[in-house]
Amino acid sequence: MSEQPVVAASDSEQPVVMMDYFMHLEYREVVCPIVRRYADALMDGKILGQISPTSGLVYVPPRSYCPVSCEWLGEDHLVELEDHGVVTNFTIVTPVQYYGQEETEPFAKASVLLDGPGGMLGLQDILDLPVDELRVGMRVEAVWLPPEERTKDEIGNRSWGSVDGAIRGWRPTGEPDVPAEQFLDKVY
Amino acid sequence: MSQACAIVGIGQTKHKKRRDDVSLPGLVREAAQRALDDAELTWTDIDAVVLGKAPDPFEGVMMPELSMADALGAAGKPILRVHTAGSVGGSTAIVASNLVRTGQHRRVLTVAYEKQAEGNAQWGLAGGKSGGMGAGGIFAPWMRSFIARTGSPAHIGPMVAVKDRRNAVKNPYAHLQMPDLTIEEVMESPMLWDPIHWHESCPSSDGACAMVMTTEDLASASPRPPAWVLSTAMRSELGMFPGRDPVRPQAGVECAQAVFEAAGITDPLEQIDVSEIYVPFSWYEPMWLEGHDLVGHGEAWKLIESGDTDIGGRFPVNPSGGVLSSNPIGASGMLRFAEAALQVRGMAGEHQVDGATVAYGQAYGGAAQYFAMWVVGSTLDAVAAKG
Repeated sequence: MSEQPVVAASDSEQPVVMMDYFMHLEYREVVCPIVRRYADALMDGKILGQISPTSGLVYVPPRSYCPVSCEWLGEDHLVELEDHGVVTNFTIVTPVQYYGQEETEPFAKASVLLDGPGGMLGLQDILDLPVDELRVGMRVEAVWLPPEERTKDEIGNRSWGSVDGAIRGWRPTGEPDVPAEQFLDKVY
Repeated sequence: MSQACAIVGIGQTKHKKRRDDVSLPGLVREAAQRALDDAELTWTDIDAVVLGKAPDPFEGVMMPELSMADALGAAGKPILRVHTAGSVGGSTAIVASNLVRTGQHRRVLTVAYEKQAEGNAQWGLAGGKSGGMGAGGIFAPWMRSFIARTGSPAHIGPMVAVKDRRNAVKNPYAHLQMPDLTIEEVMESPMLWDPIHWHESCPSSDGACAMVMTTEDLASASPRPPAWVLSTAMRSELGMFPGRDPVRPQAGVECAQAVFEAAGITDPLEQIDVSEIYVPFSWYEPMWLEGHDLVGHGEAWKLIESGDTDIGGRFPVNPSGGVLSSNPIGASGMLRFAEAALQVRGMAGEHQVDGATVAYGQAYGGAAQYFAMWVVGSTLDAVAAKG
């Protein structure tokens, strides 16, 4: 653990009553076996999900259970998902300059519904596109990091980080849009 | 099945960007002392304390209920902590009321707070990394979906922002005081998270809220009129799963059904005189009006546009100025509940809704997945008295 006290430049007329003190903590999390399978597959350029035989819902990353049908999901329920899909929702974020923020220009975060078996990925970066041209229904494909740059560091048991360590973002394929009305109930 | 519970004391701090003049315990004590003063009680009259706040990492003080027990007069008394993210102030009030209603304790002090200036929520929510979304970034796509589904005109969110800031001018405790804000200024302010403009977003505030609750027999000796808890409800759902509808979360639908049914409310729009609803971003006013079935699908924007949610309108929402004007996160839910109680006590001052006898308080939290609600009345039969 390393710590970095940060003293804000203060007006010398004002007494110092508060000091920012940011901490950094690295820790290792033991992930469950199904998440390990997912992480290993991601390093090989594959997105794994789990499909619930009862509810038909697809979970990505896999989580070993379906909270809707309340059933256990195992290796038999693993399914390889596509690395292309459709933007179903998005927002454009104007970055707040908090400590550690490196973004300076507005950026897009989108939900992507994968083709084929399905699977929704939230909060994905959209690349190679001015943010004001992003649309619901736009077809996109994954931009994978080179294998040597992929990392599992952000993958944990809480399904956070999803594909971030292996996929840099998603770029438009140039194919015709899918009608946006189809995605009104696909908010993630 | 349960005893009546009365709210006999309500206190809150002046909400500000920074309260450098008080420590964390000093902040909560300020609100608690005001609640005790309102009830004309002392610390020794209290049997138990229930404390709520948003996640501990926001200030970096873990399990503050332990270090604050002394400041809250709770040494040697039961002290409980409630955790339900942003809805926690509401859930905390409900837990406190249940301790009275079930006969566990006769006088309970409940407190909720946040001191946002002693933390950095943006940094915390981003996990200390670049590219963080902030809470608004999580909610923004759902607002876009709500707008698309209902065809709400773009000026409805800005209208809510202006209404709540004007209401806040009547509330001396409110953080933001913007009497002259216009819809045009809101729409011209920077777009933080499309469709949320700067002026449609809540501030970061330091502040606390407290209430004293007691039994029917002890309430009769209270110096000022009490508010009566007519019903409470809490519901939650997972924050993310395929097929979830975060625009109209099922937990919010069922929580509202439960709280209105238990209070005997069959027509909320007619039977509720005033509502305090958790609206940290302007579009959440129409989203919860529909998400809690107060109005039908596609109807909320019309109610707002016609001025019906203004003070003096048919269904006033957030006369205190709401979360859009003051957001000490952990306290924000309790402020909704406390403002509802102030209204039926006739003690809301300049932002009083004339003749209010039935009021609704609501809080939500997490990824719009935790809900807490209560209905309070000026009498135990306030709903029935409406005929």
